Amino acid sequence: MRPILLSGHERSLNQIKFNRDGDLLFSVAKDKIVCAWWSANGERLGTYNGHQGAIWTVDVSPNTVILATGSADNTVRLWNIKTGECVKVWDFPTAVKRVAFSPDGSKLLAVTEKRMGFLGTIAVLDIAYGDNLNEQADEPSLRITCTESKATVAGWSFLAKYIIAGHEDGSVSQYDPKSGEQVENIQAHEFDHQINDLQFSPDRTHFITASKDKSAKLMSARNLAILKTYTSDTPLNTATITSKKDYVILGGGQAAMDVTTTSARQGKFEARFYHKVFEDEIGRVRGHFGPLNTIDIHPAGTAYASGGEDGYVRVHHFDKGYFDFMYEVEREQLRK
Amino acid sequence: MSRLGNRADWADDEEFDDPSALPAQQVITNKDGTKTVISYRFNDENKKVKVTRRIKTTVVRENVNPQVAERRSWAKFGLEKGHAAGPSFDTTSVGENIIFRPSINWKAQAKEAEKDGGEKGSMKDQLKDKKVKCRICSGEHFTARCPFKDTMAPVEEPTSGAGGDADEDKAGALGSGSSSYVPPHLRKGGAGGGEKMGGRFEKDDLATLRVTNVSELAEEQELRDLFERFGRVTRVFLARDRETQRAKGFAFISYADRGDAALACEKVDGFGYRHLILRVEFAKRST
Repeated sequence: MRPILLSGHERSLNQIKFNRDGDLLFSVAKDKIVCAWWSANGERLGTYNGHQGAIWTVDVSPNTVILATGSADNTVRLWNIKTGECVKVWDFPTAVKRVAFSPDGSKLLAVTEKRMGFLGTIAVLDIAYGDNLNEQADEPSLRITCTESKATVAGWSFLAKYIIAGHEDGSVSQYDPKSGEQVENIQAHEFDHQINDLQFSPDRTHFITASKDKSAKLMSARNLAILKTYTSDTPLNTATITSKKDYVILGGGQAAMDVTTTSARQGKFEARFYHKVFEDEIGRVRGHFGPLNTIDIHPAGTAYASGGEDGYVRVHHFDKGYFDFMYEVEREQLRK
Repeated sequence: MSRLGNRADWADDEEFDDPSALPAQQVITNKDGTKTVISYRFNDENKKVKVTRRIKTTVVRENVNPQVAERRSWAKFGLEKGHAAGPSFDTTSVGENIIFRPSINWKAQAKEAEKDGGEKGSMKDQLKDKKVKCRICSGEHFTARCPFKDTMAPVEEPTSGAGGDADEDKAGALGSGSSSYVPPHLRKGGAGGGEKMGGRFEKDDLATLRVTNVSELAEEQELRDLFERFGRVTRVFLARDRETQRAKGFAFISYADRGDAALACEKVDGFGYRHLILRVEFAKRST
């Protein structure tokens, strides 16, 4: 496969996201612009300009109308995807590290940083899709305060039944999005190893977490049971579950501050593919010359994109060998 | 034949046209459904190049979500505003091909590939079967580490009872019963100090030449060839730099017979070898 290299950013990538149809790809980086790309050919559709600080996170509404971004300038912004206009700005006391739309797109959660005396919070914002996108509620409909350890990542489970959050201390917790109560909290990763990414399976019944403790865990959204563990030899920044094939893709690498002392070969700047069920590593894709900060899978499972500390987004459209690969047991299952 | 006179030869037809103009593109439809497109362009050397392309058109019908189809018509905005359709070169490029074949025993394969490719791996492989062998006692250690280093000459000399020698040495170190300290070179019945270093080469010192001003690019074999014509050469030593492996500029040549050495000394001294003039003299005792 020939990756498409997207070099629209001048600084390291923070998050990339396909829309639900997979035809668009959105990327945010530490430079202050958001880029929208056509995933098929890597053409840039446009940029969304307006943020004043590094952009940490991006999410796209299920109907590809509104784009939400969270930034170090303490704002969450909504953008009209088609025109590139900013339609709403919410101010928060601290930086916003993660935004995520609920499965139906009616709600948006925003994870704010713990800083300057403010505790980390998860705010839930109601999103309206009227004719005028500017008309949005000014105040969050819910605020969950993380008193113990700040949340670093969060997302919505199936049917928006729970908000699942990963914390700085390596624990994963489940919140009720109506009351804001914490339902469960499980120390999924090693203590004090931050969870860097949390991504759901297409049906949102389970999710994968990537942590600094060099492992990724597949967990059930219903009861936070740890289903599978994928261990690697490097701190992980991101993990995603592929659709169509039962794989997971992990990305990471030597921490950015240690990069200058390691060569690209030792840096482990590769996307690692594991079999979702058997937990075996089945291959790696190299290419980045910095740690991988973010990976997203095309919703149809035909491509994946990775964004690295090196400022590049690489879009890989899988070729036949990827789809043909099967374990012997899988093949036997197919024959029956 | 005035008509032919003002009409150019058919072969020169194009010469008479404006040289900067290119013939129009021709499109020929072939029987098998393909098209042949013949176009002309100038290459980097400003020469006219004819490009013939055969194009087979395959219509791929793809059903997409109407929303996706609608999005395809969106205009560019932001920094891309007003740019032409299609990927632009400054933001989008295509990387080199990556072969990605998932496999169960991926780790083992990767290791193998590394071994084949990595220079470090191959060097290791080369040295894998090599064993360290001591030149003195043929043990599995470096010569410099040999416990019999002080007491024995290299292997070629008949080894006479290693154990006995070691005992003697011990006694010497302790002072051979007397209270006074015996320096190492006076132990074992006062054998010469040079013997330890040189061993059997001791006697050859008389027939050893020191060659200086040797080219950096010199090879031992070349020196051997050069000196062998005067007699049997028993040893050629070319000093080399440890890191770069280049000659340091001097060499020692030992002859079996001193007469040959003297002859060589006389003949080769001042001999031009590899752009430098050799200087040859009898080696002096290093002590």
